[in-house]
Amino acid sequence: MDKKFSGVSQTMSRFRGWIQAGATLLTNLHLPNFLKGGLYQGAGKTVCVPGLNCYSCPAASGACPIGAFQAVVGSSKFSFSYYITGILILLGVLLGRFICGFLCPFGWFQELLHKIPTKKFSTKKLKPLTYLKYAVLLVMVFLLPAFLVNDVGMGNPFFCKYLCPQGVLEGAIPLSLANSGIRAALGKLFTWKFSILLSVIALSVLFYRPFCKWLCPLGAFYALFNRVSLFQMKVDKNKCVSCGKCAKACKMDVDVTKTPNHTECIRCGMCIRACPTKAVCFRYGFGDGKDKTNVAEMPQKNKDNKEI
Amino acid sequence: MKMNRMNTASRLLALLLTTLVVLSLAACGTKGGDKTDGTSSEPKNAEEAVAMYNDLMAQENDILSENTELWEKVYMSADKGMALQEDGKNYGDFLLSTIESAKDQFTTDEMNLLQGEAEKIRDIENQLTLIEEKYPEVAQQSTDDAMSVPAGSDMTTPLDDGSMQKFPAFEGKDLDGNPVKSDDLFSGNAVTVVNFWFTTCNPCVGELADLDALNRELAEKGGALIGVNTFTLDGDEAAISEAKDVLTKKGATYQNVYFPSDGEAGKFTANIFAYPTTYVVDRNGNIVGEPIVGAITEKNQAETLQKLIDQALAADMG
Amino acid sequence: MSCGKKAAAQIVLLMAGAAMLCFGVWRGEAATVLSKAIKLCLECVGIG
Repeated sequence: MDKKFSGVSQTMSRFRGWIQAGATLLTNLHLPNFLKGGLYQGAGKTVCVPGLNCYSCPAASGACPIGAFQAVVGSSKFSFSYYITGILILLGVLLGRFICGFLCPFGWFQELLHKIPTKKFSTKKLKPLTYLKYAVLLVMVFLLPAFLVNDVGMGNPFFCKYLCPQGVLEGAIPLSLANSGIRAALGKLFTWKFSILLSVIALSVLFYRPFCKWLCPLGAFYALFNRVSLFQMKVDKNKCVSCGKCAKACKMDVDVTKTPNHTECIRCGMCIRACPTKAVCFRYGFGDGKDKTNVAEMPQKNKDNKEI
Repeated sequence: MKMNRMNTASRLLALLLTTLVVLSLAACGTKGGDKTDGTSSEPKNAEEAVAMYNDLMAQENDILSENTELWEKVYMSADKGMALQEDGKNYGDFLLSTIESAKDQFTTDEMNLLQGEAEKIRDIENQLTLIEEKYPEVAQQSTDDAMSVPAGSDMTTPLDDGSMQKFPAFEGKDLDGNPVKSDDLFSGNAVTVVNFWFTTCNPCVGELADLDALNRELAEKGGALIGVNTFTLDGDEAAISEAKDVLTKKGATYQNVYFPSDGEAGKFTANIFAYPTTYVVDRNGNIVGEPIVGAITEKNQAETLQKLIDQALAADMG
Repeated sequence: MSCGKKAAAQIVLLMAGAAMLCFGVWRGEAATVLSKAIKLCLECVGIG
């Protein structure tokens, strides 16, 4: 094996765990609140964080994009949120599902669980389930909160209320531990959501990132922008020897050589590290950059070489 | 090689962080946990003393809230002239003597039950006195704690023993602009239920109709219910009209008040972060029991609220 | 997608995103987000 690793892509992918830890910390800066059992109530919560992070987490430094979207859409004043959609489009184009792979606290949580040594299962055969998350996004995050309203025009945040396991993990559990009033309020809804959290935890141990793959509406939104994102995967056809190691290494069931900007790709870079010829790397910029990067990266090679 | 080392490192990191998470959860756990155990042993430091104090208070309150009807009878027959709050007088002894003087009202079983419970209370009170003697700051501190995190509430729920928490005073207006003073409001009602809500809070709006029904029920018993919409503090015109709009649509006719956000009550409100939150306040302006967090449309929350109301009403009559 | 087309799409989307964001702030959505995010609506996060 070549010992001389080079390139930002390699480094980023290798230090991904640390970047995820750092992002989780930045997303949840107000740690003392865990002990106090209160929430951070400053202006930082006007802006949403890129990942799925409940704003009812005592430490949360910003708003959850999905929670905020439902809050706006479900209020009696508005039935659509340009503000949140705008932020999500910007994030989607600027970073895409790189956010899932590097910045999302709940993604990291699932990955840590997956490190527990047990027998692991492939999700390849469960591919149809990956479309479920688009339904969650459309129905639970948008349609139901916006249109199933009460007599004063307010809708429920259906995703937060009935599905989101992050809300239980970061919100309900720490708050109810530190706060007896909230403990007294725990009811059937909590039991339901707690069971969902337990299922996601159990599944995360056996499968890689089950919530991201099948249910996450935020992941679904970013997935739609993966193809046009400035953050891309790049496969150098000249270097590729079609060994298939990248596809095997991919835990999101993507073949990067065929569809480098697949909706399921979370830019984790496992393929980059698996590639024996270093043909795969991250690329950041407008357009496809095919010609330019090829020439820039290996000016010694002719780009009309055969692709094997 | 490098790959392997990296893998081990990331595993170690994962392990470390998981431990951290577990530990922090455990820390929270003990914080909540020491309320339920550690009853009779001596406290080692002031912090433990506070925890024990609160715990004992909670136990006492549990006893009193269990057989509400019987206790109400006891309170009713209590000697009206008898001061509850005499120095050194044990509340358990007071209950025992009251029970004794009213024994013709109870069956033998009831008598036994009441006497047993009152003796328990006497023991608890004795322990409380001990703690108070050793750590005089404790009683004070336990109320202070409650002040700083109102919804957090490791709040003590004593009955007439002088260490009750006052509901913060305010001078404000109702949504129609009529002046409202907290002193007059509380002293004019045997019990006042204060409901904190805000206009875009779905469950808060969902319970408005129930609260209106409760207000009518309370009116018959000499009590009242008021709402505090946190958006309307400082008299924000737009927020007031929105709040009124919602109240009208929900058919809620009870009084809603606002006050300055920089006052005592305003700061108290700023510390409430969970909505809706409902407080029960007695005639002396003291908060009865712990605040109800969450909508009272939930059956068990409604029951808890009713218990607190009954407790306040009974104390007012006794 | 050709390179030029893709870049154009990216620029258009970025501008659209920024415009939507500004429009949303202008019509007061940001204030709604803040007011919701700093308070815990119990039932809303599945606690009650």
